[in-house]
Amino acid sequence: MTRLADWINERIPVSGEQLRELTNEPVPNHLRRWWFCLGGTPAYLFVVQIFTGILLALYYQPAPASAYESVRYITEEAAFGWYLRSMHKWAATLMIAAVILHQMRVYFTAAYRRPRELNWVIGMALLMCTLLTGFTGYSLVFEQLSYWGATVAANISDAVPVVGGTLKTLLLGGAEYNEHTLSRFFIIHAAILPTTITLLVIVHIAFIRMHGVTELRFDDDPPNEPRHFNFFPDHITTELLIGLLLMVVLSALATILPATLGAKADPLTTPEIIKPEWYFYVSFRWLKLFSLTFAVLSTGFILGAMFLWPWIDVGLRKLTGNEDISVWIGVGGTLLLIGLTVWEAVVTH
Amino acid sequence: MVFSFVSIARFGLMNSGQDPTSQNSAEQDSAASSSDDHRRSFIATGSAIAMTTGLVASYGTFASMAGRFLFPAGGQRSVGWQFVAAVASWQPGKSLEYTAPSGATVVIARHGEADEAEAFIALSSVCPHLGCRVHWESQNDRFFCPCHNGAFDRQGVATQGPPAKAGQSLKAYPLKIEAGLLYVEAPLHSVGGDAPAAVAQNDPSAQNDSSAPDAVQADAVEKGRLS
Repeated sequence: MTRLADWINERIPVSGEQLRELTNEPVPNHLRRWWFCLGGTPAYLFVVQIFTGILLALYYQPAPASAYESVRYITEEAAFGWYLRSMHKWAATLMIAAVILHQMRVYFTAAYRRPRELNWVIGMALLMCTLLTGFTGYSLVFEQLSYWGATVAANISDAVPVVGGTLKTLLLGGAEYNEHTLSRFFIIHAAILPTTITLLVIVHIAFIRMHGVTELRFDDDPPNEPRHFNFFPDHITTELLIGLLLMVVLSALATILPATLGAKADPLTTPEIIKPEWYFYVSFRWLKLFSLTFAVLSTGFILGAMFLWPWIDVGLRKLTGNEDISVWIGVGGTLLLIGLTVWEAVVTH
Repeated sequence: MVFSFVSIARFGLMNSGQDPTSQNSAEQDSAASSSDDHRRSFIATGSAIAMTTGLVASYGTFASMAGRFLFPAGGQRSVGWQFVAAVASWQPGKSLEYTAPSGATVVIARHGEADEAEAFIALSSVCPHLGCRVHWESQNDRFFCPCHNGAFDRQGVATQGPPAKAGQSLKAYPLKIEAGLLYVEAPLHSVGGDAPAAVAQNDPSAQNDSSAPDAVQADAVEKGRLS
């Protein structure tokens, strides 16, 4: 046994002490509240997506002539294909919801402030990547929503000043939706974005480790309680419990509300009622409310402001002298987000 | 980058030139040493520049090739002139639905007396806003785009929604008249892979079926509404 330990230790020269130091960062007490564990949730769901995604890719064919049929095969014929596809779809939905909730938690607790500004920017990039992965994902099914969603998105890119035309051509692999488009979406969805997300998550976590988690104190905290607890085994147990709970929820959703297959893409007919996935309701409504140029420029402006928020926040606090200005802006933004989403959800057009 | 190569090259040359016996003689002859340093510096700088140029040229070429690869060859959608009908048999104020080889339905109406292309209009069903397909709503007397609520009158002029805000109209397919026959420049293929086969360009005899009013798609614009 000692010889085996020596053999391993010689080849992997990491001591138990070093390993403990690496994995056992003290966790601030507020993370005992589960609400603050939302950051780990999308990471966990991302792993589910990688696993189910690899399995789905075994049968999926990214070509207009065969994509829809391959998804139908996965859903209706492959053993447990319906389950894996439904898991993939629901995990995407929950992942996006978790990323948004995590970001709101970070925003409203002002955890993005100095010195953690760059991690907010990385978080924003992760949000963008997650939304893009969701969008390219449902574009692969090649049902009506897939085709028209991709067409609309490509034309939105086209409206971006200066680089719009090139962006559209790069996205579609041509001037219009063509036989190269699906394979391009597939590579973006299954290779480029997951790799980017993985790298960003590594940097995101590295920053958290370097700066430590923002410590929050609550009025009802017992005064003499220790301010930290151990990552291992205390926090990891919480994360494992969340993981278990997520699997139960995912499995239930996949079984009760499995992923369906709409009508096959018809480039000649836009269906009478067409809506994107719920996380794009806001931009969908925004596009209905304003002219294309204004909608695209204002969306770019809002996203730019979100990326640079840690610095804008500093400026606004100095300008107004109000420390809570970001909270009020956040409340306004959230209400607008919810309002536009609900509006789009309840009307036919 | 050039600076770092210069440093590396210099370091290499200095090391390779180290020799205790020659060092002594170099100390004695400072003029020769200065000349050597100058030569070494020149060679180091020159080689660093050559190396940098080589790297930039080779990786740059590779990057430009990869960049070019991202844009597929023949990416433009193919369109061709398709025969529609004989002008003489077409009364002003009448319209017909023409099914292009791609499967796209095009409503073509004659609104003028003159035997020229300007007397006809062939409206595209592609919404100028974000590219969805409009459809005719007879009860509202308008073309409607279900994606973002754009609406157009029978002439294709936007009346509601984002296209109206931007002053966009439905595009018209190019038309021409040759030897008393009307032609439309329409798309030849569809991405779906199940559209009718493309017909030969400028070959009226090959397209009589597709251009006849009874070949239209039933779910498109209500027949005769534009008449």
